[in-house]
Amino acid sequence: MAEDPNASDLELVRRIKRGDDQAFREMVERYNARIYSLSYGVLRNREDAEESTQDAFLTLYRKIDTFDESKKFFSWFYRVALNAAYSRARRRRPAAATVALDDFAPRLSDRRLGTSPEYLAWVDGTEDEVIARDLADRAEEFIDELPPPYRDAIWMVDVEEMKPSDVAEILEISMPALKSRLHRARLHVRQRLAEIASAPREPQAGQQRVAP
Amino acid sequence: MKHDEMNCKRLILEYLADYEDGSMPEIDRRELEAHLSHCPPCVTFLHSYRATGRTLKMLKPREVPKNLAEAVWNFVRERCPKKS
Repeated sequence: MAEDPNASDLELVRRIKRGDDQAFREMVERYNARIYSLSYGVLRNREDAEESTQDAFLTLYRKIDTFDESKKFFSWFYRVALNAAYSRARRRRPAAATVALDDFAPRLSDRRLGTSPEYLAWVDGTEDEVIARDLADRAEEFIDELPPPYRDAIWMVDVEEMKPSDVAEILEISMPALKSRLHRARLHVRQRLAEIASAPREPQAGQQRVAP
Repeated sequence: MKHDEMNCKRLILEYLADYEDGSMPEIDRRELEAHLSHCPPCVTFLHSYRATGRTLKMLKPREVPKNLAEAVWNFVRERCPKKS
């Protein structure tokens, strides 16, 4: 039978509380990649994400006595990591310009979209690997255009593929609120991807970015 | 029900997420599918919505810096030499 991850986390937490540094090292091994990826989702910069990951583990080490063991450990720790990343984001860069909520509305009648072979290849999933990868890279930019509550939701659920119920718990919002944020975030990213997927590409695809 | 810009926008905004995650009541699902069967713009939109999901999944796996675990451990160790 599969091990309960929370029970396994709790065992490590209790050992860390007793001063067992080996347990802390195991916790670092278990969570460092996930915390890094979460931090990257907020900060979009490798160096900042790495430093934020370190901050998160430092807080974990110093504050683990305050963790309430009746709660899920990973929710608490992800919250710690998100706060570390938000704090660093505030210090490192001014708030980026984000899209207006109205921009999330689907534009069904936009005739520029939806008919080109490139767009149809994207929709059908038949575009080649290089083009698909290029679109994915651009998707990261489009996620970055979103207001932070939307950006974090889509990053955790659609990119990190975390369980929506876990994400709602970490973000301290209801499931309907999470679904609404996710849907609107996806609509925005879809619109932006559709725009570039519709633009004709030059013959050596993948070597260039399609002009907006 | 034929394509109607306002109605289709409303369907997409209000119902598409529930349709996609399977939480939509059966009666509403049937109604939406009946609409889709007569509305090519909505079908294309639905396919592009799914293509967006596929594209986002390609962002993983993110490359984690080498020796990150060791860097984290050293960072904490320098600031907290020994847990009391």
